[in-house]
Amino acid sequence: MLDLREIQATVLRLRPAPYFGTHVLLRVDDVRAGRELLRRLAPHVDSAGDWWDARNAWLSVGISYAGLQALGVRPDSLESFPETFRVGMAARARELRDAGANVPKTWDKPFGTGHAHIALSAFSDSEEKWHRVLAMAREQYQGFSGVSLLSSQDFGAQPGDLNPLGYKDGIDQPAIEGSGVEPIPGQGRPIKAGEFILGYPGEAGVPLPMPQPDILGRNGTFVGLRKYQSRVGAFNRFLRAHGSTEEERELLAAKLVGRWRSGAPLTLAPNVDDPALGADPRRNNDFDYSKDTHGLRAPFGCHIRRMNPRDTQLTRLTDVNIHRLIRRGTTYGPPYDPNALSEADDEVPRGAYFLFISAKAMATMEFLQQEWINDGDFIGVGSERDPIIGLQEEGATFTIPKEPVRRRLHGIETFNVLRGGEYFFMPSLSGLNWIASLSD
Amino acid sequence: MATQTATADRPKQDLTVAQKIQKLRELYADAPEIGRAALKNGLPMLTQELAAAPRAQTAGRIGARQGKVSELTVFLPFAQGGAKRLRGLLQLLEGNFRAADAVGTVHDMRFVFLDNDTKLLFATAYDGDFDPYIDDFGTKIPNAMDLWLSNCEGYPGIRSPSVKDWIAKHQIAAEAWYVNSPNLTAPETQRLERVGKAVEEFLDKLQ
Repeated sequence: MLDLREIQATVLRLRPAPYFGTHVLLRVDDVRAGRELLRRLAPHVDSAGDWWDARNAWLSVGISYAGLQALGVRPDSLESFPETFRVGMAARARELRDAGANVPKTWDKPFGTGHAHIALSAFSDSEEKWHRVLAMAREQYQGFSGVSLLSSQDFGAQPGDLNPLGYKDGIDQPAIEGSGVEPIPGQGRPIKAGEFILGYPGEAGVPLPMPQPDILGRNGTFVGLRKYQSRVGAFNRFLRAHGSTEEERELLAAKLVGRWRSGAPLTLAPNVDDPALGADPRRNNDFDYSKDTHGLRAPFGCHIRRMNPRDTQLTRLTDVNIHRLIRRGTTYGPPYDPNALSEADDEVPRGAYFLFISAKAMATMEFLQQEWINDGDFIGVGSERDPIIGLQEEGATFTIPKEPVRRRLHGIETFNVLRGGEYFFMPSLSGLNWIASLSD
Repeated sequence: MATQTATADRPKQDLTVAQKIQKLRELYADAPEIGRAALKNGLPMLTQELAAAPRAQTAGRIGARQGKVSELTVFLPFAQGGAKRLRGLLQLLEGNFRAADAVGTVHDMRFVFLDNDTKLLFATAYDGDFDPYIDDFGTKIPNAMDLWLSNCEGYPGIRSPSVKDWIAKHQIAAEAWYVNSPNLTAPETQRLERVGKAVEEFLDKLQ
């Protein structure tokens, strides 16, 4: 059983619908001030004790490696963190395939500068509660000498909770053993908690290496924060270039993702959208690919089949259960506009901040970026890339299996450009208090 | 034992072809006559090679890569009795490696026993980077891995979080690496075999 009262709520609590919130990035300029801030924040950081109940707004706190240094965590403890975390996301650009348009030197500040020390996120299911929790959080850091506000990004509040490309998202999440709730149909068997939370056995039967001391590492986890900007114009132009009617375009949009915009999976609704299916959490994820072994419904290269191949026959020996991430997508900027077609529309600040959560988030993100997102060999589509979050190269294609011959679409572009990213450690509540009460 | 040299750390060579040739002349100045003659007579082809764009890449943490294919070369000291056990195992398997088939990224493997059966040289060509699939071995084919590698000294077990470091510690990056078809991964090669066969069958029916 998991020690839910120690784990931060965001690790297990699903994004509510509707959702509202803010991501705040802070820099610690003075070690004592940083610890005092954590001391003030800690009582307001929610535990996962009642994670299934999202009726109250909640806060989460993540600390980067530079942040741990700035907070005066001792060297032997710092050294116990994985190297990938210590060097940070920008330094791992090669392994993360963050090249070309996604290269760190083009990122928005403060990403990749080493200044983002503390990431504070507020989530809520109502605007009013969101404002309240945010005001409370601001009281702790505003006008507080020794801690600087670097950025504050509001998210959510989109009509229908659609993402910037107009899809319902966040549907498929891994089930976690010992979290106290029955898996939703289609979630598959619960995955060993140690894959997601430090201090518990993982799928290989042993716990992952844990930052030390024990009170700091146990019940903590790692978060990869990625900020994407959606190139809505490029996306719409692609749909129009390859679909002459609204129906054709919507089918193509569904083929790219593997779900209709409503969330209804192509595997269950191959020809026409089924909004009632898309809206039903007990049905919209309840499928495998055993009856779609040729990808005639959900193309092999579509986004959701890549991100969770389920029972798809892969070309490489793969344990699908060890490459999953908990993800919290949070949309910012104006909602999806199906008529946005210009290149200027690509530059409108709209997109999503993703929190990717796992006890080995760094390794898993590198695996996903290398294998499942920016390659296609693993699932038999050559060097094609994920149509939604892949970084497309000149001449990239997307293949839709079809009888008698497949349809290959040319000219697919990068629809979501990376604007920044950082790794954070999300300590347990005890871990947070431990850092807050460090002394020189 | 040779020291590890990560190819990633090599200085960039921004030399002109003429400078490269000059450098070769200096290197071969004290070579035996046969070598010096070869340099002189082989200049036409060498010049083409020296003028071509570099093809060498790195395979993640350590090792060389060309296109999609990487090399892994490890020198592993045998544990007590390890050489005898592994030789026996390999002889009985008679070239059947189901685990390697299952892995899907392995092009070839060689097991060479060195220094009076005290060290194993293991060399393989595989697709992609070194790290990504090691964890999958731990949950999908742990026995095949442990049966083999437990014959080597200090092996922590494929499920151990330290196994990647253990392998990297014994790895020696190849000084040079050549791949004939650098864009063909193992699954892609198999797919092309199937496509080629299907095309031949189709053409047979057209006759």
